[in-house]
Order: sequence, then structure tokens, then C-alpha cells
Amino acid sequence: MTGFRVSPICDAMRLAQRATSEKMAKPSSEESLIATEREINQMRFAQGNSSGHSTTLGITDLSFLTRFGVKGAAAAAWLHAQNLPIPDAPNRWLPLRGGGLIARLGFNEFLIEDSINSSIAPQLIELSQHPPAKVYPVLRQDAAIALGGSLILDLLAQTCSLHFRALNLSECPVVLTTMVGVNVTIIPGEIYRIWCDGTYGVYLWQTLLNIIEEMQGGAVEFEQLLPL
Amino acid sequence: MKLITCPINGTRPVSEFVYGGELRLISDPQALDDQTWAEQVFYRNGAPGIKKEWWCHVPSNTWFIAERNTATDETLNTYLYGEEDSR
Repeated sequence: MTGFRVSPICDAMRLAQRATSEKMAKPSSEESLIATEREINQMRFAQGNSSGHSTTLGITDLSFLTRFGVKGAAAAAWLHAQNLPIPDAPNRWLPLRGGGLIARLGFNEFLIEDSINSSIAPQLIELSQHPPAKVYPVLRQDAAIALGGSLILDLLAQTCSLHFRALNLSECPVVLTTMVGVNVTIIPGEIYRIWCDGTYGVYLWQTLLNIIEEMQGGAVEFEQLLPL
Repeated sequence: MKLITCPINGTRPVSEFVYGGELRLISDPQALDDQTWAEQVFYRNGAPGIKKEWWCHVPSNTWFIAERNTATDETLNTYLYGEEDSR
């Protein structure tokens, strides 16, 4: 049996799509003009197609990327044994060879996420079926978002209580903070990656999108933000 | 805006933290009489002053100790549990 998962943000896109089509009195067959549903890594997700917004402010759903979480006193040693680089301090991240990233969320907790072209997380999930002592796999069902564009810092100033301009990006910081009241993990950079508990995905997406649209931005296809 | 410095995540608004109660060293219940044990379990020290308290930075789930003047609500020092001497 082939199953598929649905992105935690997919419902937000569907709701927005329905509301817009009702407002514009469009027949349902034309809804695809507003957003398109796609499937990657056995996950169904919706993408906005407001092309051109990525330069000012664009938001996209990256929940379909495969990811793996692990914690425990021996987690760092176990990941090192799998030939992964280990960030030397909590709240730091490193890129993975072949794409993707590893983020150290605490002394003993890690998040590994693939790029669109890599598949390290599924291998780690497989390897962690029988983990050694003090290595505990963590189920990651995050809503994952990417923000891009010249007005990102203005958006963050409205939604977070952290001074992102003061961060030194060369240190590869990982920021654990709250955004519009939701606990989030943020990796700042050319694009800003945001992860939160999947159950908050719809709220976070809708709230951010409302502000982004006020700033003349919109939901975009992930190819516009994510370097392939 | 009130600020607290998390030993791991740095200075953040107090809205990112929750209070976990005063740090209290609990005695061995077998070594105490019932009255003293009941006092340890149910009584709290409400007098204002400098106290060691448990606080948690919620987004990262980091528990740490804060020394806080409960009369003036000033946080004087924060550190991870067990690392007071290493500072």
C-alpha cells in the first residue's frame, strides 16, 4: 500500500483558496489559479504561485522535506559515527555534504533535514530502529516554512521579540524563540528557515501570510526560494 | 519589557519563560517526623528577598536557576543547575 502524508500547512492553503474563490465568485475548477497542490516525498502540500513576490517577501511550505530528530547523551557520538558533522555548541547548525543541514538544538538534541535532492534523514530513521543506549530518535512532524525577500527583517520585527539584525550569521546561529506566540526554531540566512510544531502550522502560516500580503508579498513556489 | 537571560539562549523577553517555583532541597522523608515532612511538602516561603528559583525558557525547554530579588523583581544571576560553582 502506498500512503501519503499531508503537510500541516496544506489546510491553510486550501482554506485561503476557498475563501478567495468565494470572494471572487469563481467556479471551483478555476481554484487552481490561486494555488496548486503537489506531492514530494510522499507528502501532499499546497504552493502559492504569486511569482515575483520572492524579491520583496515570499513564504513557502517546506514541510515535505524529510527530517530526523535524535536526542540523548550519546546522540552526538552516534551521529558522528554516521559521518555527520556535529555543531560544536548548542544553537548552531552546519550544512551537510550533499545538501541539507544538521542543527544542534541543545547539548544533546539534534535536527537533521534533507535538501530536495538528498536522503540522509530516511537512512538515519532506518539506522535508529535499534538505537544504542542513550540515543533516542525523535519523531519530527514539523510545519516547515521558508521566508525570503528584502523585507524579511521588517516581518520579523513585527512577529518576534528578537533583534535578528544583531546576529552574526557567520557563526551559523540557530534561534529558538517565539513567533506570533508560537514556539519556533529559526535558522537565519539569505532565506530564513522556520520550524514549529505541526499543529500550529495553519495558525502560523495564516498569520504570517496576512502580514506578508500587507507588505506586498505572498506565497510562492518553493523553487523560488530554495536553492536546488 | 522585562528581560531574563537564559544561560543557553541569551537575553529574551519574560514572555518566553515560565516560572518553576523556588529551588528547595528536599530532605529524606524517612529521616523526618510527619510534622516536619508535611511542612516541607505543603509550606512555601512567601517572604520577599533574594531567592533561587527554577525558570524554563519554553521554546528550547531549557530549565535553569535564576537568583531573583522577589521584592524588586530584579534577576541578579542565571545559570544551569549544578553550574553555580563553575561561574
